[in-house]
Amino acid sequence: MSGLEPHGPELAVLAAVLASFGWRALGVVFANRIDPDGPVFRWFTCCSYAILAGLLTRLLVLPIGELSEVGLSIRLGAAALGVAVFFASGRNLLIGVLVATGAFAAAVAWL
Amino acid sequence: MTQATLLHGAKRGALDALGIPLIVLLGGMTGYGALAHDSGIGLGLATLATVLVWGLPGQIAMLELENAGADLLAITIAVGMANMRFFPMSVALLPTFGRHAGGIIGRMFQSQIMSASSWAFIMRPTAPVEARARVGYHVAFAAICLTLAVIGTTAGYYGAASLPRPLALALLFVNACFLLLLLVDIRQRGALVAIVTGIAVGLPANLYLPDFGLIVTGVIGGTVGFLAWTPAKTGPSA
Repeated sequence: MSGLEPHGPELAVLAAVLASFGWRALGVVFANRIDPDGPVFRWFTCCSYAILAGLLTRLLVLPIGELSEVGLSIRLGAAALGVAVFFASGRNLLIGVLVATGAFAAAVAWL
Repeated sequence: MTQATLLHGAKRGALDALGIPLIVLLGGMTGYGALAHDSGIGLGLATLATVLVWGLPGQIAMLELENAGADLLAITIAVGMANMRFFPMSVALLPTFGRHAGGIIGRMFQSQIMSASSWAFIMRPTAPVEARARVGYHVAFAAICLTLAVIGTTAGYYGAASLPRPLALALLFVNACFLLLLLVDIRQRGALVAIVTGIAVGLPANLYLPDFGLIVTGVIGGTVGFLAWTPAKTGPSA
């Protein structure tokens, strides 16, 4: 149950929207001043990839909520299988995602 | 630079979005919709969050924290940190549109519809290079993704009770798996170094600095990747 009754969910969504929008707006302001062929642009591109990688570790290794109830070995094992199948299939995203997700569901069901 | 260029880009964006992102988005947002249902939040609000927050990790963090009775500041910080990637991603994306994204409103629109998937796809070497075609590509790709996300949220919301637990959990897992494969598919040296460094730094940073771990990861990983960048390959071809 929410600690923000009676308008908890509405305020939570509003807070989430503003928290996301703020970063996007800040990005728009910065982007206006950046040369797409310059070093600052490259640095921001690299930071984006690094943050996505950091987010990935959070999703796979340190998830919150229901995913955290699934063992780390299942999460990492399914992900590793997906990567292996992805490369074995000639970098086919669809096959990699389907195999990893299917293996994850099967492991959750049977282990 | 013609209207045909824009439409050609849009066609390619639509075709790309109707591939693997279709499955991943429907899956991931179905998982989110089911979680929203179980959290007691209304479908309208859950859908509004999908469209306006437009970042699954942040949306899930919002639901989990709201459900746990967290205060607004905690929710704002958690969602803000989960979605702070939109700042550097916007900075890295918008200049590649040149003047074709329009004025400030047009750029805000492009930034608002941007997701990790649309960003990762348009940064691939196979995406259009010409600025106007890139605008068409991104708008079409994102519009289809948003539509699929709303459908997935609604389907998950109404189907929550009938979802077996392994499937419900798999739907939450599919997004992480998709992101993983998008990242291992990167071939530009600097970006690859940033990703590897991001994973190495991300583990301890997220563990010991849960509120600011992603910022630390981004700055350290991004800087190391920047230093390793191969000068011959820049910009959208990352």
